[in-house]
Amino acid sequence: MAAAVKLAGKGYDVALIERKEELGGILDQCIHDGFGTKIFGKALSGPEFAGYFIDEVSKLGLDVHLNTYVKSVNAGGDVKELVTVSPRGVERIKARSIVYAIGCRERHPFEIKVGGTRPAGVYTAGMVQRLVNLYGILPGKRILIVGGGDVGMIVARHLYLEGVESITVVFPEEFFVGLPRNVQQCILDFNIPFRPRTVVKEIVGKERVEGAILVKVDENWRPIPGTEEFYPCDTVIFSVGLVPYAKKLRAIGAEIDPRTRGPVVNEFFETTVRGVFAAGNLVQIFDYVDDAVESAYIAADGVEKYLAGEGRLDNPVPFKPGSNVRTLTPHRLEWKDERPVVAFLRPAVEGRAWIIVRGGNGEILKKEFRQYVRPSTLERIEIPREAISGAEEVYVDVARV
Amino acid sequence: MSLESKVRKVLGRFPYEITFEIRDGVVFLDGEVEAYEEWVEIGLAVGSIKGVEGVVNRIKWKDYPEEELRRKEELRRKLYEENKGRIIGEYDVVIIGGGVAGTAIARELSKYRLKVALLEKATDVSVGASKANNGMIHPGVAPKRGTLKAKLNVRGNAMYDELARDLGVKFKRVGSLWLITPRTLQKYRRYLPGPFYKFVSAYIFPYLVKLKGMLNGVKGIRIIRGEGIWKLEPKATREAWAAVYVPSTGILDPYDLVVALAENAIANGVEIHLETEVVGFIREGETIKGVVTNRGTFLARYVVNAAGVFADEIAELAGSREYTIHPRKGVILLFDKELEGWVNHCVTELRFPAPAHTKGGGINPTVHGNILWGPTAVEVPDKTDTSVHPEEIEEILERYREIYPDFPRHRIIRYFAGVRAPTFTEDFIIRPAKWVKNLLHVAGIQSPGLASAPAIAEYAVEQLRSMGLILEPKPDFNPHREPIPRASEMSLEELDRRIKEDPRWGNIVCTCEMVSEAEIVEAIRRGASTLDAIKRRTRLGMGTCQGGYCTLKAAEILSRELGIPISQVVKENGGRLFNGAVRGEEP
Repeated sequence: MAAAVKLAGKGYDVALIERKEELGGILDQCIHDGFGTKIFGKALSGPEFAGYFIDEVSKLGLDVHLNTYVKSVNAGGDVKELVTVSPRGVERIKARSIVYAIGCRERHPFEIKVGGTRPAGVYTAGMVQRLVNLYGILPGKRILIVGGGDVGMIVARHLYLEGVESITVVFPEEFFVGLPRNVQQCILDFNIPFRPRTVVKEIVGKERVEGAILVKVDENWRPIPGTEEFYPCDTVIFSVGLVPYAKKLRAIGAEIDPRTRGPVVNEFFETTVRGVFAAGNLVQIFDYVDDAVESAYIAADGVEKYLAGEGRLDNPVPFKPGSNVRTLTPHRLEWKDERPVVAFLRPAVEGRAWIIVRGGNGEILKKEFRQYVRPSTLERIEIPREAISGAEEVYVDVARV
Repeated sequence: MSLESKVRKVLGRFPYEITFEIRDGVVFLDGEVEAYEEWVEIGLAVGSIKGVEGVVNRIKWKDYPEEELRRKEELRRKLYEENKGRIIGEYDVVIIGGGVAGTAIARELSKYRLKVALLEKATDVSVGASKANNGMIHPGVAPKRGTLKAKLNVRGNAMYDELARDLGVKFKRVGSLWLITPRTLQKYRRYLPGPFYKFVSAYIFPYLVKLKGMLNGVKGIRIIRGEGIWKLEPKATREAWAAVYVPSTGILDPYDLVVALAENAIANGVEIHLETEVVGFIREGETIKGVVTNRGTFLARYVVNAAGVFADEIAELAGSREYTIHPRKGVILLFDKELEGWVNHCVTELRFPAPAHTKGGGINPTVHGNILWGPTAVEVPDKTDTSVHPEEIEEILERYREIYPDFPRHRIIRYFAGVRAPTFTEDFIIRPAKWVKNLLHVAGIQSPGLASAPAIAEYAVEQLRSMGLILEPKPDFNPHREPIPRASEMSLEELDRRIKEDPRWGNIVCTCEMVSEAEIVEAIRRGASTLDAIKRRTRLGMGTCQGGYCTLKAAEILSRELGIPISQVVKENGGRLFNGAVRGEEP
């Protein structure tokens, strides 16, 4: 919606395609607050935050296709063709550019090789959040939550307030990895029990969950033999990470970054397919919705440049993660532009640190100090164009102080 | 040597006091051992004696679940008493078991003027081993020559083109490619020094395999060497010295086949009773009069025992226990559909002799583009043990990694297990019961059960004929069954047309596999009443996100179509998906 609104505001003809029955994406189930602290200076709930953009879309009278599934996209060339399927029929849409903002999916227990049986009562946290908040139904009464991230903590609080009998949270790290405000406001404030350095080895139960076999792990997340313990419960909720839903981009030939698991993008969030842009959690998992929205605004600027046929650099500049950087966007600089490059990176270390932007020969182009970095918080850094003009390749490092 | 002395000799090898009696070729064993594995070993040893027609293994092991069995027996007896007088109907044939064997027999019987009922204790057909295998239609090379398995495998395999076409089941004859590598004859390396090892491996052994297949009646087997191997499988290991190519191997979705057989049987007059569990029989002398279930009694002239892993319990209740099932679990790994094209045939690396705990298995494509690795083979005491241990996942990844060295092994989207139903004689047991006049055993249907199914059905019906069942062909038997149309597979024009008539075709509920609301509603109309039943019929939830997006919507549709509150929607059997309402709300 953010990209659509910005582009419509610039006078472009925009169609907005959504697979659900209403706009807002995942925000409609996020009834907790904290959305918009950077953009609006307020801590809104998910629906309120989405509501702002829904109102803008409505005011601008954009062409909105709800309940619409994109079956195929022919993305090569100047005119892209989409085939969509909806209760209104099969439609063909022609567009000069496409912005994908289809978000991410939750990692499921099979991806982390949880063993045991596959009974009813095993969910991902997002599913449970939706079930509880929009359907008004509990998944079960005796809950085990796996994962120390934000989503897991928020769902733990939801379930506590909605009347389950018991909750325990387990995770392999030493402590919760989500935002500190969530640890305080979801776990500590409600005295929800938790066990660090613990994972689920197997799920037990024939038709419905009867319990889980927990096992302790060491600092390398390796199970410690002999520490297995049966934990009785009737529901196991996995909150073990979000993964960009890159399948659809792979299908049109866009290159995917194995680190972010999202598309390879330039500084305007354009994928390796010309005229196809990506924004939001599809590119990488953002910790703040405000940052996700910013990526959409930048992508909108990119669309403007693309449609206006503005100039690209003769040689794209590779933009690469250096030491202590897990993921980094963009992956390259391709455009002639004067606006600063906005980079997002996930540090691999924790503590006081410098974010260092350097050229291929090691010369430092920009340095920024951060009071505290941690892997669970995506860092944003703005790099003025002058700093990197002339560099043939750019690296970003994180150096502990 | 008499059978008795042969058995005594075999039992003498074990350090236990095992007593036995033989009745009509069936050996009954009694005694006590330490470990479950020994129980299996003794049973297999006796079962492999020539002339033994069945082994009933009453030996107990240390953790024998005495208490649990007693409780189950008490419950069964109670249900029997409650239901023995409630007559549901009179039937010519009652089939017990809704797996591939039972439904294939039901469909075969529906060609004749007979009143047939199939009883299945789960909430859907195909819920046992029939849904948890790799869907491979074996060519028939592996079974031992002269066994019923070998005969029915080869015959059944050949019947699949027509059967799949009639039933609207996706079936592909992809062929098998069995690779011979430096590891194939590893156990014999010391007998084959230097260049002999490779020579025998690449130039003699493949022909022995081919000969074995030819003796079983398998046609078209070819030996391939060199570049030819990688023309067929470009990504397979370059270590292969030779390969045996068997063109008749096929693949299909096994649950798709079973559902199709069931629907066609129903269309031709068979009654399928789900959630109906057999708790006993009413007998008059050596003849069964009625089959007592938790829902009442079905009077029957003939009974077919196709109860899979529970066939021995049914045989016991009916009064003709001639075998004991020793459950053998198999774990399978499923990889993302995006990997389609990595594997084009059913591929494996031959090992001779086959390693102890495996029945081979390998790397197979599915008809939808997914790739399967497995299965394993582990003896388990619990017939319903479908657990997958993380070690088993690693074991499979290790075992097959050398076949496709660059395979992206992290792209697992699911793993599951099925429990096979082998007897101790390890062959199919499809014969009239020895001590009950009108009972047909269809037991021990382990691999190649799926491949043999159409031939098993034919053979079983022939057996029933020899038992006195009159088979009068029905002129209006309709062999055709239309599958549920798929939005993802039809032309855009057809999809558009359907949407204009019924907008639910355009409401895509599962966006990973493109499954529309109309397909879900149709699956429910055809008898699916649980989430898993819908999944098997439409592929909902089988994609990358494994149900993350579509589960709630599908539950909502089930709730609406079945007229039940969403908190009562079931995944499978008794497993409710959800609990009640949140605090303070009406559901």
